[in-house]
Amino acid sequence: MENSWEEARSWDELVERCTPLATDVTLPSVAAWKAANPQRKVVGCFPVYTPQELMAAAGALPVSLFGGRGQVEIDHADSRIQSFVCSIARSTLELGLAGHWKHVDGMVVPSICDVARNLSGVWQRNFPERFTFYLHLPQNVSAAGVAYYRGELERLRQRLAELTGALASDDALRQSIRLFNRNRALLGELYQRRARGPEQWPTADLYVLAGAGNVLPREEHNRLLEKALALGETRPRPKRDSVRVVVRGAFCEQPPVELLRVLEEAGCAVVDDDLQIGSRFFLEPAPEDGEPLTSLAEAYLKRTVLTAVNTPGPRSRNEGLLATVAATAAHGVIFASPKFCEPALYDSVLLKQALEKRGTPFTEFEYEEKMTVFESIRMQAETFVESILFFSEK
Amino acid sequence: MGSSYQHQGVGRDRQKELLGQWYGRLENAPRDATPVAYLFISGNIGELLRSFGFELLFPEVNALQCGVKKVAGDFILKAEDLGYSSDVCGYVKNDIGLASSGNRGPFGALPKPDLLVCNYSGCNTYIKWFEALAELYGARVFMLDVPYRRTGAEQRTEDVEYVVKQLEQLARVCAEITGRPYDPDRLSRSLEYSRQAEDLWVKILHAARHRPSPLDAFFEAVFFMAPIYVLRGLPECVDYYRAAWEEIEERRIHRLGPVSEERFRVVLEGPPPWPHFRNFWELFKRWGVCCVASTYSKVGGIWDFGFRHDPARPLESLAEYAINCYTNWNWELRRQMLERYVAEYEADALVIHSVKSCRSFSVGQADVREYFTKERGLPTLFVESDLADPRYFSEAQIRNRIDAFFEALEHRRLTAPRAGA
Amino acid sequence: MLVAGVDVGSTATKAALLDENKRVLALALVDTGANVVRAAERAFRAALAEARVEDWDVTYTVGTGYGRYRVPFGDAQVTEIGCHAKGASFLFPATRTILDMGGQDTKAIRIGDGADVQDFCMNDKCAAGTGRFLEAAAEVLGLKLEELGEVATQSKKPMKITNVCTVFVEQEIVMHLARGCPVEDILAGLHWTIAGRSIGLLRRVGLEPEITFTGGVARNAGVVRALEERLATKLNVAPQSQHIGAIGAALFAWERAAHGEVGKRANGAAPRPEAAGGGN
Repeated sequence: MENSWEEARSWDELVERCTPLATDVTLPSVAAWKAANPQRKVVGCFPVYTPQELMAAAGALPVSLFGGRGQVEIDHADSRIQSFVCSIARSTLELGLAGHWKHVDGMVVPSICDVARNLSGVWQRNFPERFTFYLHLPQNVSAAGVAYYRGELERLRQRLAELTGALASDDALRQSIRLFNRNRALLGELYQRRARGPEQWPTADLYVLAGAGNVLPREEHNRLLEKALALGETRPRPKRDSVRVVVRGAFCEQPPVELLRVLEEAGCAVVDDDLQIGSRFFLEPAPEDGEPLTSLAEAYLKRTVLTAVNTPGPRSRNEGLLATVAATAAHGVIFASPKFCEPALYDSVLLKQALEKRGTPFTEFEYEEKMTVFESIRMQAETFVESILFFSEK
Repeated sequence: MGSSYQHQGVGRDRQKELLGQWYGRLENAPRDATPVAYLFISGNIGELLRSFGFELLFPEVNALQCGVKKVAGDFILKAEDLGYSSDVCGYVKNDIGLASSGNRGPFGALPKPDLLVCNYSGCNTYIKWFEALAELYGARVFMLDVPYRRTGAEQRTEDVEYVVKQLEQLARVCAEITGRPYDPDRLSRSLEYSRQAEDLWVKILHAARHRPSPLDAFFEAVFFMAPIYVLRGLPECVDYYRAAWEEIEERRIHRLGPVSEERFRVVLEGPPPWPHFRNFWELFKRWGVCCVASTYSKVGGIWDFGFRHDPARPLESLAEYAINCYTNWNWELRRQMLERYVAEYEADALVIHSVKSCRSFSVGQADVREYFTKERGLPTLFVESDLADPRYFSEAQIRNRIDAFFEALEHRRLTAPRAGA
Repeated sequence: MLVAGVDVGSTATKAALLDENKRVLALALVDTGANVVRAAERAFRAALAEARVEDWDVTYTVGTGYGRYRVPFGDAQVTEIGCHAKGASFLFPATRTILDMGGQDTKAIRIGDGADVQDFCMNDKCAAGTGRFLEAAAEVLGLKLEELGEVATQSKKPMKITNVCTVFVEQEIVMHLARGCPVEDILAGLHWTIAGRSIGLLRRVGLEPEITFTGGVARNAGVVRALEERLATKLNVAPQSQHIGAIGAALFAWERAAHGEVGKRANGAAPRPEAAGGGN
């Protein structure tokens, strides 16, 4: 089963084979990996950004966890976390409490927001025997912040060694960085081709191809992406009336893949997005030489994309969005964020103001990972597309 | 008791004076060319800023005042008109609504910031709040990143060092803006005042150990605590707590307290519903409930476990202070605090007031409830509303829960001796 | 010696009359409507009429429900949590967990051996998972409330309903109907959802057998079935499920009367209802 994607002979087949990898929250491929590698450990990473290079260098399989995606009924988690928060926090806890993630040996939670932060404490109390690590990303972007983060990474390295039995050496780390840089480069290439010709590289498909990397060892995912690039090149480019859009807000709890298809069917050609952004977090490759933890620390603080959950430092999120819109020749922006996602909700107010000043159209809606009915979103997207196609300068 | 008391009401009256003077200074800041720094309550390193001559403004306190004076609703609606979602923090919306309406609150005109000191300790929303204000005012933001206390018992030196380095950065920025150099002596002197005020504040908090407690350690403490957050480091803050302490002592001697007959002692976890403060308190008072300890009274600093600011180690102790504010503590530490309070103050029950606005406080409170009811067998009441938005308070429902809870507790008390339980 | 309990709920007001042996002499139910005080009086009178007794025969009356303070002839008030605990325990002495689904709120209660409330949890902010949810659904589906359970049992393939909001679930139902989904499948899905909401509450207080299901919604066989399936256990359901609060209140009244307390009515000192601020 793990190699089934290797047997795909067309783009569509590849996407089909990747779909369960990208979306099955009980992580059967991870369980299979564990069975095949009984001495090694699986370290789950709660979104958005985690230094997975470190886990891989320690001999573990880093797995990006995106909650329940609507596949689990919230039953036990309700009594630990109340309802006015994003679904992913509850569904993540539910998957643990209901015993679906026995093959996940450890959990690393980065400082995304207060909910994620508190979740790590709830997780820890409910699974006291399991490895839990809360990683603080400094918001003070300076030498002091870099030094602190390097210290955090060192601490994580030591703790991981207790879990896996292997201390990630500097050499192993450099190699890991190289591997992950390659992965980011391949993803970057895929997304660039999409920006040039979105009809040929549909977002829902890219999502699944990228998402397969949530559960696969990085070397394997690299091979998968190389295959995807080759298969995708020869795909037909159907012509259709669509507008080029940038999507923002979906960096943590994910929308159902169906929602992405609904957007595309409504005429939105997504040319840039922040879906599963953690795997594309750096703007340039992290240095592959030198002291690896410092390289990572510098990269995480100074050379990352701008999201709602990391401080821009000297940069501006507004400028960043406007630059992306210009660079991708996008017609508009769609703010799509999970219900109750505080960071996204605050950010969008300021970003919308910046877009308004520039005269760039935008629309906004909320989703939940477990939604199954998309009619109102479809209508909203179609209206948005029409308003751009028929009523504004292109 | 017919005798007239000397000190009763002093805590309230003196505070009104002090805060009135403070708001007066703020209103006159533009005229007096006083530099103004905005900062947050949790992790407020006010002494450092004051040592440069800054006057301090706390947006959270503005929001709180609006709530108490019943004007929060309009400001929140204003912010929602600007695009803020109904699901974001009511404090933030209140303040942004206020700032967008000419920045004049129920306490007078508020000055614009010369510096936004984003002391990020325990609340991620703080960052978003100041990003919005920076945009609104075109003001400079300094990010003081205070790491979350998550490794349990040990205070990590790396955390303290990181904060100290940032305080040094901040000092350079303050010098730049005010034109004054960093004055460590002045800072140390003010920290000595801080230390003295902290000693007195802790004495007040500890008074609730008595039976009956002379103080409601939640409903009264959240007002008594204001000066030690916003005026800490000033001599008048020490005088205030000396006077407040005398009021509490007098109560203790004469067996006065917030309820005429103390029937239940509870620990209260969570912020108050500011727009419905009195109502909420009444719902408990009718059952003879006195809060003997609370966690919200520690949002701006935890001093009752021994910590004091140290004039001999100014920046280190400021850093330690900032790391140890309640919402910057992880759940393990928060639970331990609650357990300790229940034991030390001999509480009968735990009351959790969960607010919709504040994820930092609320996410995981249900788990705490789970822990205390199932593993500790401690009666725990869970009520929900909001701290800032007047719309999220359903009196009938809240009253129902409170009544059912204390009714059951009372019943158990009456039947326990017979059942031999 | 007669005692009475009056449960003033948001939709319905119930009354129960018990005799000195705790035998239920009468149960009555009226729509609460806009005037809570009159509803309480009407329910009380209906119960008296059924038992063929007069109000001065009633030694003690306890009021419960949201409107408990508006029962002018009530001698004492006890929350419905306490009354449901009492009532359910009376009918099912081995019960330790109670789920009450009323018109607009749902409660889970865990009790001890003496019917004392150990813990409780309420969903009182949101109508999903309450009677209102089903009412809204029934309206959209063009069915009567009483038919819902029967229809749902015909379902072979319950449709998953994801909306938790009573207002938006109507939209969702309409959409499923438009796609040709059979009514019974939609209903089964709704029952499943309601059951799920309640189970969250039950887990919070702790599931201890036996579990008793009370309140108006307990008469819906579809919800009972969904709960029993999801909990993998049988539930106690009494035919008087809607009156359990009133019965519990009457039992509290019985305790007071047994201790020699006498209420206003029996003393002849009760105010006439019209004079007691009759309007709402």
